[in-house]
Amino acid sequence: MKKKFTKTLIAASAAMLLGGTGEQAQAVNWLKMQGTEPPGSSARARVWGFIQPEYQSTDGTELQAGPWAGQKAVFNQSRPDLRTNSSFNLIRARIGVRGTGFPLDSKVNYFFLAEYGNNGITRQGGGSVKLTDASVTLNHIKGMRVRIGQFKTPGSEEGLQAIHVFDYINFTNGANQLLLERFFDGDGSLAKSPGDVINRPNGPVSAFRDIGIQLFDWFYTGNWEHSYALMVGNGNGISRGDNDDNRELYVYWASELIFPGKSPFPSAAHLAPPVWSADQHGPRGARYQTWKLYGWYQNGKRTLTRENPGEYDRTRYGVGTTLRKGKFRAAAEYIVADGMIFSGTDGGAVPGAANNANSAVADFNITTNGEANAWYVDFGYLVTPKLELDIRYDTLNRNTQSAAAERKFSTLTVGAQYFFNKKSRFLFNYEIRDAEAPGLPSGAVPNQILSGLDNRISGQLLIVF
Amino acid sequence: MKMAYRWLAVLLALGLSLGATPASAAGEFAEQKIVLQISDPNPFKQTLVLNVANNILKHYGPDRVALEIVAFGPGLRLLFEENANKGRIKSLADNGVRFSACKNTIRNMGKKLGHPPALNPNAKKVDAGVVRIAELMDKGYKLIKP
Repeated sequence: MKKKFTKTLIAASAAMLLGGTGEQAQAVNWLKMQGTEPPGSSARARVWGFIQPEYQSTDGTELQAGPWAGQKAVFNQSRPDLRTNSSFNLIRARIGVRGTGFPLDSKVNYFFLAEYGNNGITRQGGGSVKLTDASVTLNHIKGMRVRIGQFKTPGSEEGLQAIHVFDYINFTNGANQLLLERFFDGDGSLAKSPGDVINRPNGPVSAFRDIGIQLFDWFYTGNWEHSYALMVGNGNGISRGDNDDNRELYVYWASELIFPGKSPFPSAAHLAPPVWSADQHGPRGARYQTWKLYGWYQNGKRTLTRENPGEYDRTRYGVGTTLRKGKFRAAAEYIVADGMIFSGTDGGAVPGAANNANSAVADFNITTNGEANAWYVDFGYLVTPKLELDIRYDTLNRNTQSAAAERKFSTLTVGAQYFFNKKSRFLFNYEIRDAEAPGLPSGAVPNQILSGLDNRISGQLLIVF
Repeated sequence: MKMAYRWLAVLLALGLSLGATPASAAGEFAEQKIVLQISDPNPFKQTLVLNVANNILKHYGPDRVALEIVAFGPGLRLLFEENANKGRIKSLADNGVRFSACKNTIRNMGKKLGHPPALNPNAKKVDAGVVRIAELMDKGYKLIKP
């Protein structure tokens, strides 16, 4: 009797997972996880957050050539201050609250998150604490939920996923340079003399976020969960208003095949109880067994007020896939960028540093008509329930429109994650980094400079609460 | 033949007179009778009470236990029609678990919402959740509040 009942329960559970009863389960649907709360089963206000202290180090190889030869190379310095080649840092420390506000009405959800860490969000734009997310989601219209406020834009998996479940310490070159947007008043094309105001970011990095309004939802066909998002935003970063009349458009689609059973990967994500059910909802939690295909598109204009003032198109789009099955996970994505390409600093120097001749200072640069593409492949394997090994190869081809300006960055990252428990882990990454100017002779100054790109060691502790 | 029909009628009447509240799969002859209370606002308690119900069924088998979950106060949210757990509730109901929703709470929540809350189709309304618990305890049910 007991065995029969057990089999019945298992069958019922499997049927539930496979949608046999009209219910679906288990998907890494970031739109759902970050913007909505399980209906009838969420708190008025649930406090949560995470802390990520880290250590990063390179050999600190100095610039090998160019006007700043012998000085610190910006690409070998530790983020975000770029003053030293090795440093401990509290890269992220976030605390937030989410819920329904009025528990009897599940149709109105909110999400609030603030950043106290030391990173590109808090280092720019004044103040030491920044709001990263503040949004309200209205779930009144079947097939079209509405989210308003400041939140992650629907796009690349690296940007859209919750950072506290990210399997690596540093972003890929493509995400870091093409998608994690820095905002400038100029393009850095005018040479600056010592004492001049250099072209620096005029506010926080975008943190893959915008302020706007998003329509989104998800639905099921068999074992597939499909989700879409359409968003219109300012296109001017976080914690401030817009600086022009242009709006940013975001379009996103994902289709995710859900496999039965829960992934053995420990979850570093906050797992809110309980498991969702019903035709419009699935479970929380980031680490379930799925295969996802997705595509995204972003388009807008940026306005420069100094150094080639004007409006410039900025387009990004990409396709990708993720797989999480048993002890194995994989991901890949291809990204295309057109316009407003972040192009590093003059001579590879730390911004604001005077050259050896003391005749110029290093600027940040933006190539307004630049083009670029990037891709990565990423694999992970759960060796034991507490230990995961990861390997990722990523490459960025920047400014492909000009042989002289083109730069190629490639990084092979090998990593390990040790899970103390579901909500805390230690990450270790070793990045083998390479860069070149493929359109120039090997002896050209840019190639000499890029040859000094060091490998990087990183260690990070993460706890989610 | 007439005698057989008479005995059949007697048995039928006896069965109907055993009580207005329908029994679980195990009926009044269940080996174990348990009532679970949920009256907390904490969403975690929803998971907990369903997990406990699952574990009880798993241990005894649906044919040997009479199990009822009584929701009142903030706990009534578990039995809202839209509740994220409704799949699990259906699964438990299909295995004989009963779900009771307190009318007093429904009325009070209705005042706050401006309309009565829509309930899970597997939920049966009872006049008062605590009274229902007391009545079940009088019938030999053990009260567990996870």
